[in-house]
Amino acid sequence: MSLFGTTSKFGSNGSSVGTFGSAAADHHNPMKDIEVTSSPDDSIGCLSFSPASLPGNFLVAGSWANDVRCWEVQDNGQTVPKAQHIHAGPVLGVCWSDDGSKVFTASCDKTAKMWDLNSNLAIQIAQHDAPIKTVHWIKASNYRCVMTGSWDRTLKFWDTRSSNPVMALQLPERCYCADVVYPMAVVATARRGLIVYQLENQPSEVRRVESSLKFQNRCVAIFKDKHNKPNGFALGSIEGKIAFHYLNVPNSVKDSFTFKCHRSNRANSSGSQDIYAVNGMAFHPIHGTLATVGSDGRFNFWDKDGRAKLKTSEPLDQPISACCFNHNGNIFAYASSYDWSKGHEFYNPKRKNYIFLRNAAEELKPRNGK
Amino acid sequence: MTVCQFFLQGRCRFGDRCWNEHPGARGAGGARPPPASQQLSASNRRGWNASSQRYSNVIQPSSFSRSTPWGGSRGPDQASFGSSTGSGFGAAQRPFASLSSGDQDEQKLLEGIVKDVEVWESSGQWMFSAYSPLKTQPPVAGFTDISPEELRLEYHNFLTSNNLQSYLNSVQQLITQWKNRINQLKTINKSNRVALLPNLNNGVNQAAPALGFGSTQARMFGSSFVGSSKSVQNFSFKTSPGFAPATSGSPSVFGTLPALGAVPSAGSAVSASTPAFGFGKPQITSAASFSFKTPAASGFGSAGFSAAPTSLAGSPFGAAMAPAFGGGTSVAGFGSPGSQSHTAFSKPSNNIFGSSSIPTSLPVSNVISATDKVLFTPKDQLTQEELEQFQSKKFTLGKIPLKPPPVELIHI
Repeated sequence: MSLFGTTSKFGSNGSSVGTFGSAAADHHNPMKDIEVTSSPDDSIGCLSFSPASLPGNFLVAGSWANDVRCWEVQDNGQTVPKAQHIHAGPVLGVCWSDDGSKVFTASCDKTAKMWDLNSNLAIQIAQHDAPIKTVHWIKASNYRCVMTGSWDRTLKFWDTRSSNPVMALQLPERCYCADVVYPMAVVATARRGLIVYQLENQPSEVRRVESSLKFQNRCVAIFKDKHNKPNGFALGSIEGKIAFHYLNVPNSVKDSFTFKCHRSNRANSSGSQDIYAVNGMAFHPIHGTLATVGSDGRFNFWDKDGRAKLKTSEPLDQPISACCFNHNGNIFAYASSYDWSKGHEFYNPKRKNYIFLRNAAEELKPRNGK
Repeated sequence: MTVCQFFLQGRCRFGDRCWNEHPGARGAGGARPPPASQQLSASNRRGWNASSQRYSNVIQPSSFSRSTPWGGSRGPDQASFGSSTGSGFGAAQRPFASLSSGDQDEQKLLEGIVKDVEVWESSGQWMFSAYSPLKTQPPVAGFTDISPEELRLEYHNFLTSNNLQSYLNSVQQLITQWKNRINQLKTINKSNRVALLPNLNNGVNQAAPALGFGSTQARMFGSSFVGSSKSVQNFSFKTSPGFAPATSGSPSVFGTLPALGAVPSAGSAVSASTPAFGFGKPQITSAASFSFKTPAASGFGSAGFSAAPTSLAGSPFGAAMAPAFGGGTSVAGFGSPGSQSHTAFSKPSNNIFGSSSIPTSLPVSNVISATDKVLFTPKDQLTQEELEQFQSKKFTLGKIPLKPPPVELIHI
């Protein structure tokens, strides 16, 4: 029975859910989602699904164990580990090329590598002076390149054949997160910096946006309008808040809004909350609804146009550090691993890290009042 | 609407009932802090542009037209620029008014900060984050932005080099710095505002490591004073050649040097809140631009901005004035950059900037001790020339006093 695309109860399938964590108070998988086999040995920093040009679904994950792993996700939910390659430092960003043949990985070893999946060879294509946090593939009408954002405050663009960047842009501060939906790119930096770029012809800075949030930027994701053109982005901060910024829209100031999420109300005192960081965000490729994951160990689905929360998950016992949709929006992957939100005291290297897959076709449909 | 002349001088008899425009007061009273900032900037933009012309008539047209390019050439930053100066005007003109609308706004802001800080502390939120009380302003000084990944990487690096203890120590240090800063901010209230500046000064000196200035700092040097939005910062940079070598990513620099370099990133958010200038706070842009204008205009503000505390977005002058004078040297510091174009400040001592240890050398202790008399100078402490200046109808550029006027000469 094909798992993805129908609302089957995969908890009852023979996949690995249920065998693990059958102990009494185990909340490592309260949503009973499919667990990816051979998950990384340390925290997962980034997840990415293969693009539509590749038949089937392939998931890559970069982890703090310095490795990048690739699985094939079959229709019945089985995950088959396919390959992995190792960096010299923790891997903070992964991205696929548009034809699905290469995976770009960015690491704390200050390099980014291009991993050819067919030959299983990885060559270095980028170099920075500090760990590289984000890597994105840009396919423009007249060029193709890899964009890397690093803590050395630069944004560099690499043609994979040359060891010098084709372009290097200065950032006001360390790059914390970025997103690319051609022709728009958004980079969020330390000290609440937000810069929008346009990528047509050649990447150039369009403007600096004033962040609506008061605290550190954590993740950013571009959304599209109904004509499939990028027209704004969502920004998540460590403060359990998300801000939507509309760009190139007549009422952009009025339409932009923020909302609180990933907070929990304490039982004892009213009004006091635990505030958690928003670790990752992803827009559903078909419905345009938003999924967010946070340090509270929950994922949420939101409809930004209807300004409604579609779903909140049960809390996992670990923070959720990354999330991603596959190319047609049927699978939602999220990684349960420690994100260092409470410092080193809560780090347990022996703790198992999970990646879960969930059927996302139905739950992310927007509300009717769109 | 025409701008009310009397309001600008601090003596409008009609107050809210006045039919003319009171810049800085329009959006200030009765609004919540976030909308207030927008309204403030909107109204102040009008107010500022109008009043700048007025001031140019009042003092000396030629030098004012030279100074207005700061406001005029800002372009997109005009709004925020206007807000800082506008509110500065409002407060500077009536620094001694007990509860002007500017003060109410500031009070709300302070309350907002206190609440934010309390929530931050109690909620288990990530500590090492930059914080801006109002969205449009650059972050409050004393908080460093460290992402969890950076901290974790440090941990792993220290682990591999078997040096975990030093990691733990530095984390502990960061945590203590953060806690101290939080406690300082929690105790802000109206009556402590004057004491806030010394607190903030102290906070600067405790600034967390590795904020980094980036190459933006390099850009600052050598650009002309007037003109671009960065120019305001420039002037402060220029005077302190010692700053030039501040390279990105050198932690110690931040502690000692004003984070002037870091300002450009927050360039648009010119608000009165940033400390300033001498204190190595990142918001130098706003402080600088802010201070520059006011002194020219009122003569009072000169001290004000040097001491402008980070979190006082509303009317830095009100509070800033006082302590700033205690550190009269800090004002002087401003003067030295002025050697380029702004004659008003060509006089004050150049030594402040000459020694690159400005932030730490700022006489914090002086400021603290002067809390009582900080708003006014007793007559006997003024030189004859300064006294003449205060007594005359308008200030002469080049002779604007650096100390606040004596109580006796104030007419409200």
